[in-house]
Amino acid sequence: MPMYQVKPVSPGEIKIDLPTCMYKLPNIHAQGTSRGEHAFQNGEVDPAVKVLEAQQDDILKKLYELKATVDGLTKTVTTPDADLDATTLSQGVSATVSKGTADLDSLLGKDLGALRDIVINANPSNPPLSLLVLHSLLCQRYRVLSTVHVHSSVTSVPPTLLSCLGPRHADSYTRHRFELGFTLIWKDVSKLQMKFNTQNMCPIEGEANVARFLYRLLGAEPQDPVLATQMDSWIDTAVFQLAEGSSKEQAAVLRSLNGALGRSPWLLGQEFSLADIVSACCVLQASDSTLAPANVQRWLKSCQNLGHFNCAYELLH
Amino acid sequence: MTKENVQGASEEEPQGQSKKGLKKQQKEAEKAAKKAEKQAKLAADQQEADEDDFAKDRYGVCPMVQSRQKLDRALVRVQDLTPEKAEQQIWVRARIHTSRAKGKQCFLVLRHQQFTVQALIAVGDHASKQMVKFAANLTKESIIDVEAVVKKVDQKIESCSQQDVELHVERIFVISQSEPRLPLQLEDAVRPEGDGDEEGRATVNQDTRLDNRVIDLRTTTSQAIFRLQSGVCQLFRDTLINKGFVEIQTPKIISAASEGGANVFTVSYFKTSAYLAQSPQLYKQMCICADFDKVFCVGPVFRAEDSNTHRHLTEFVGLDIEMAFNYHYHEVVDSITDTMVQIFKGLHDRFQTEIQTVNKQYPSEPFKFLEPTLRLEYKEGVAMLKAAGVEMGDEDDLSTPNEKLLGRLVKEKYDTDFYVLDKYPLAVRPFYTMPDPNNPKYSNSYDMFMRGEEILSGAQRVHDAQLLTERAMHHGIDLEKIKAYIDSFRYGAPPHAGGGIGLERVTMLYLGLHNIRQTSMFPRDPKRLTP
Repeated sequence: MPMYQVKPVSPGEIKIDLPTCMYKLPNIHAQGTSRGEHAFQNGEVDPAVKVLEAQQDDILKKLYELKATVDGLTKTVTTPDADLDATTLSQGVSATVSKGTADLDSLLGKDLGALRDIVINANPSNPPLSLLVLHSLLCQRYRVLSTVHVHSSVTSVPPTLLSCLGPRHADSYTRHRFELGFTLIWKDVSKLQMKFNTQNMCPIEGEANVARFLYRLLGAEPQDPVLATQMDSWIDTAVFQLAEGSSKEQAAVLRSLNGALGRSPWLLGQEFSLADIVSACCVLQASDSTLAPANVQRWLKSCQNLGHFNCAYELLH
Repeated sequence: MTKENVQGASEEEPQGQSKKGLKKQQKEAEKAAKKAEKQAKLAADQQEADEDDFAKDRYGVCPMVQSRQKLDRALVRVQDLTPEKAEQQIWVRARIHTSRAKGKQCFLVLRHQQFTVQALIAVGDHASKQMVKFAANLTKESIIDVEAVVKKVDQKIESCSQQDVELHVERIFVISQSEPRLPLQLEDAVRPEGDGDEEGRATVNQDTRLDNRVIDLRTTTSQAIFRLQSGVCQLFRDTLINKGFVEIQTPKIISAASEGGANVFTVSYFKTSAYLAQSPQLYKQMCICADFDKVFCVGPVFRAEDSNTHRHLTEFVGLDIEMAFNYHYHEVVDSITDTMVQIFKGLHDRFQTEIQTVNKQYPSEPFKFLEPTLRLEYKEGVAMLKAAGVEMGDEDDLSTPNEKLLGRLVKEKYDTDFYVLDKYPLAVRPFYTMPDPNNPKYSNSYDMFMRGEEILSGAQRVHDAQLLTERAMHHGIDLEKIKAYIDSFRYGAPPHAGGGIGLERVTMLYLGLHNIRQTSMFPRDPKRLTP
């Protein structure tokens, strides 16, 4: 029977927002169910999430370590050894291994399966004797294909210059059997020039510089920086003061050569080096070798006895 | 019509002549008077002219030279007009290159082949006004005989080839007149390309030149080019004869296409058809099998290639060499390269004037080469290209841009415009190429390049009939068609190799020109059959 019904004054279910600023006491009466919730309220984290966070921290640490290592490497690569203390280096003669192996790939670039040809343009009026000596040394170490050409800018060249690299190798028709090519072109150039890889290397000018490059191919460069500097110093003296200097300068150089050779058989000490090659060639070209001081003459004789100087002596006559 | 009206008007008013009528009459009278004056003056001038022409017999148009009389007159060439002949009175036959009249003087530039000289006709003892006028009106390119005194000049005449002398003309006669309108102007034809565009002066189009080849060939540049080409041919012959070669002539009408068969011209031969020879290959080799040892031949080569490029012609002159060798085909390569070097040296020594003349219109770098010639292996060439960033396989053929790039790289490293590339891959060579004994993927073949463009393709030939048959089958060639060729190797054939160059291409590349039609006198290409 439709009765008069009174509308409910208050809704049945009232949601109560419990305050979060207070902490809850565990329910003494109930057991177990509310513990997880309680723990969350206190700021502690779920163990699974803890593990994930730990992993993330690990990875970040590793990344930072890697970044530090790379930074360190870039620093060592870009800045020179300015803090290398020269006084701590060993004084005296360190054994320069004359039979050291030179890594041709690192010096000349990747081997692309074809002959690596070094081209040297020289003026026939000024033959580079030291390069001929180095050529002879290179032939001992590697299979070298040597060729001599005359450029159209030069009308004629004496036959001694055409055969200065020695007789033609029997296998010279198969270029790819050789490791290194040594192509000498007699050309009307003002300064001696060497070209190898025109895409990546600029040409090297000057007999002394080309000699240094070729010497490096022999793997005989002195590792000791003091010796290396001395070698460079002798080379520069020979090229600038002996070959191009006035007679006074030449005499001075001969005197200092004499002094140095009085103390040791070779300029750098006990080992034959590029300094001896370049200096000897300059002495032979500059003046009459019979007028040189005693030690210098003895030293020239020793050079000749090594056998590599024959090609140079042939051109002097 | 107006006169009639006027007359009508005056008739209408017969009595008093109106002002108009009077004025008209006066004007007419004035006109008539002026006309009479002019005519009188002309008549007077004419009389004067006729009276003053004391030099009448010193100039004129000669009757056509029909060998009516044999004059024992020595004509001096323009080339030989030097200060040594000063004050001598000589006869010269040349063409009129240009003429310029200035009042009482007329300057002519006379030209013979590559040489030009200035000539002067001035009113004076020897020449009258009429003579100067006659000289000024002569058409360009006419051939004239001139008697003159050679005079030294103080200031060099820069525009002529004979810069130190000038001719003072005393007699001038026309031997062969030219039509006044020329299809092209020679000064335009000799002008360098760049100049024309800048100053607004014309240069001549190549097609116009080729259509009017007779006139174009008269220019100093063309004369120089073809004299140099003649030199190439002569040096080729001389060098080879000195090396003991024999010159042979091979047939050009052949029954079977020698190289592949794709690009041959067919001719009707009585009841059948025949082909025009693509190269003397077949016959050169037959001569070697016939014990001639070293042969060469100079003759036309016909290639029906539909290529319209700057370096292809359908007919060109081929200089071919074939040589038997003892043990290694490099003997032949050395011989060929030595011949080329002798040609270059000969051109450099004997044809400097021609090279300079061509350089005036077409500037280029002088040709450089090494002696002995640089010989690189194909692998080295590929390595150089790879180092420069080109991607190609070890056995791919060189495309034209790659060839040009390799030429530039070799020029940079070795400073030579001429080199040989040896040991090409076998797959890209014709079937008669001998394979490399050590590596079956390569062959004993070589190409020679000038300024980065190929001029010679050669190889050691297969001289064994069986191997030849195998190679032909491998290339899918019909053995019936080349039966005669294979047969020639069955009765003892020496090992041999050779190659051929194109005369026009070598001339073009030596001079650094850019289109082969400039070095072919009457070029033939897919679009041109005349002149």
